[in-house]
Amino acid sequence: MPRGWLLEAHSSREGESVVLWLKEEGSGRIHRREVPWAPPFYVTGPPEALRKLGQDLAEDPRAREVRAEAIATSLLEAPGTLTPALAVVPARHGLRTALAEALDAAGSYTTFRFYDVDLSAPQTYLLERDLYPFAPVTFHGNDVGAREPPETLEYALPPLPGRELEVLLRSPSPGRRPRMDEPVRAVRLGSTLLQEGDERATLLALQEELHRQDPEILFTHGGDAFDLPQLYGRARALGLTEETYFLGREPQPFALGRPARRFTSYGRIYHTPPASRLAGRFHLDVDERFVEDVGLRGYVDVARLSRLGLQTVARQSPGTAFSAMEIARARQMGVHVPWKKNLPEREKTAGQLLAADRGGFILTPPVGVHERIDEFDFSSLFPSLMVRHNLSFETLDCPCCPESPRVAPGLGYRSCTLREGLVPRTLRPLLERRLYYKARKGETTGGLRERYDELGKAWKWVLVTSFGYQGYRNARFGSIECHEAINAYARETLVELARAVRTSGGEILHGIVDSLWVRSPPGKEPAPWARELGERQGLPLSYEGRYRWIVFLPHHGHGLGVPQRYYGVYEGGEMKLRGIELRRSDACPFVKEVQREVLALLAEAPGTRAFREAVPRALALGARHARALREGSVPPRELLLPRRAGHDLKEYAVFSETVSALRQLKRLGAPRGAGEAVRYLLQDRHARDWERRVVVEERLRGDEAYDREAYGDLLARSFETLFLPFGYTLGKVREAWGWPSPRPPKRSPPHSPERLEQRRLPGLLG
Amino acid sequence: MGRTVPTYREALEERLARWEREFGRGLTDPKDREGFERLLRGARRCVGPATLLSTGDLLERIVLSVLLDLYREGEDPAPSR
Repeated sequence: MPRGWLLEAHSSREGESVVLWLKEEGSGRIHRREVPWAPPFYVTGPPEALRKLGQDLAEDPRAREVRAEAIATSLLEAPGTLTPALAVVPARHGLRTALAEALDAAGSYTTFRFYDVDLSAPQTYLLERDLYPFAPVTFHGNDVGAREPPETLEYALPPLPGRELEVLLRSPSPGRRPRMDEPVRAVRLGSTLLQEGDERATLLALQEELHRQDPEILFTHGGDAFDLPQLYGRARALGLTEETYFLGREPQPFALGRPARRFTSYGRIYHTPPASRLAGRFHLDVDERFVEDVGLRGYVDVARLSRLGLQTVARQSPGTAFSAMEIARARQMGVHVPWKKNLPEREKTAGQLLAADRGGFILTPPVGVHERIDEFDFSSLFPSLMVRHNLSFETLDCPCCPESPRVAPGLGYRSCTLREGLVPRTLRPLLERRLYYKARKGETTGGLRERYDELGKAWKWVLVTSFGYQGYRNARFGSIECHEAINAYARETLVELARAVRTSGGEILHGIVDSLWVRSPPGKEPAPWARELGERQGLPLSYEGRYRWIVFLPHHGHGLGVPQRYYGVYEGGEMKLRGIELRRSDACPFVKEVQREVLALLAEAPGTRAFREAVPRALALGARHARALREGSVPPRELLLPRRAGHDLKEYAVFSETVSALRQLKRLGAPRGAGEAVRYLLQDRHARDWERRVVVEERLRGDEAYDREAYGDLLARSFETLFLPFGYTLGKVREAWGWPSPRPPKRSPPHSPERLEQRRLPGLLG
Repeated sequence: MGRTVPTYREALEERLARWEREFGRGLTDPKDREGFERLLRGARRCVGPATLLSTGDLLERIVLSVLLDLYREGEDPAPSR
């Protein structure tokens, strides 16, 4: 029987089967298999209503089959509890959600509950056949079997040749938005430039060249939003058809995949362009990777365990992957997956609410520069706590263990001692995986080390989101109580560690949730000490390193330390930066570059004394750049300010730089809305004219004048950020640079009402 | 993330802002002013431990923080910026 790898599984165009793409070992030949697959979703409800629904559906063309079954619907019930249900098989895969929504509406959204609705057909296929993306397989006809489980830590990957794809237009589109009226001039595929003069010939040449080179992966920069939609849009305009023109390995609709969407996270609006996925070939848009430092290796590993395709994993948040893994685990535990979550928060008194929702333990650090500071971090603290204390939505205050000794500190929620919960069961292998890759990274060098680093990072991100999902209202397998319990344990853990450090004679400087900055007592070797402290608490505590120096930064208003703003250099020379311009997404390249130089200069200082001595030199370095800025000789491209539109243009009430930029983009025919990124040069910050306040990147020629005063402030402010603890306010920095203080605004200062009154009084009297 | 309740830090800042607005504005004597600012600082300095207190009473947290700060004042002058 031939051996090879399963690359991907997706629905067929007709939506009645699953298409499998296999790569044969040795020859590298690609095999396509199509397996009929029509998975049901399930509906539960009152018997009479279910019977009626079954009758209606028997005549509904949207349902292929309806049958009565009994299924396990909840982990909260005793194992073996079954509920009568209707298994509904949609006529086509694509009808799954629409049909469920229609039935839900027919039941007035209260009568029925639904299960397995958002498990896609390929997902259920992979789960039921014990298959997964990139599985090493043997295959014979439609019979495909994995040779090892997805959890395998060391495995061989198929060769995955990749090519870069880039579409070039006759006149470049502003902001690389697809423009259906603009012909494709040429297409670059790897090192091959396809340019036939005639556009139609160029497009056909691309298909032919793709077929010839047959890469597994197409890499693009912005291909989701531009390259692929542009290619297919033009193909349609030139009369090519979906049946004959395709860039994957089989025909698919010209309108690819999911449309653009928006979502809000932590109060910020994000915009994601449409996902342009190909059939039988991977399209990876490098600009759309959700997490930047996770490489291909990491995404492949996450795809294997989540059973989501590579093209999905690389575009979605790590939380989506974690969710998929929970689903897989729930299905293994024999439970079907609820469609919309139906687990309300328990009723609490106001006092309980305040006691419960308290977040992590965070200290107020002492402002200023410090030396001989060690940093200790609990690695993957939250997931470790969930596993260690069996914290899961269904294990909290379970009926079986009223006397459980596992009690969330300060909250009193108990967790089960008899059954391991879904969340810990899902997390345990992931934690082990991350620790394994992390350890291997430490034991290897070169390319191997890089590989383990990528793998470790991918899981770090997934593990980080696993906690957030406990309190997220759309998370299927989370509850707010679980979220609170984890926080309570986490606070206890850090406080416990701080106490242990104090009793050994150490000094605590700062602590955030899972990290502690301490001055270790003399004679204690920090690395073994960290191990010892961690072992005492039964959680992996790692020694991150000793700082040559670290600066904790103050709040601009009240002057006390803020937890997440600091910068420091480890003894090895590596820097750790939080909340300063270099780490901020809204700083311009010029300011970042200057700050980088400043930090490089400061990094040389072995301790606090040398650091303080280096500060004047850092300011002198700044003065040189400030001079260039004031002379107008900094290239405008280095001054582009990245911003994210907070609203759509019409929703802005106040004129601002962003409004100016959005208006210009709209006029250029490349409008942007809430959540989308814009970059612009600040031309005149006081201009009331939207054409003059900024210049958007798309309009930039490169020889524009910029607002020297405004950029001078931005540069000076970046120095204030670093050196405020040493007395360098914005004004002091400008003074040190011999840069005159800004003129006060022309308006006269407002008078207080009292004074107006006084001036009028004599007049009234007289 | 759908937090139902503001964090202690948020609640504290809100309360301190109100104190500043309604009470602090009326302090005309510079010595009073200085003392008042010292008091605000004391409340902010102990945010970490105050979070650990399982109580719904914001004032209880602030009072403990400020008292502790006062006790330390003699031996340990206010941290300078």
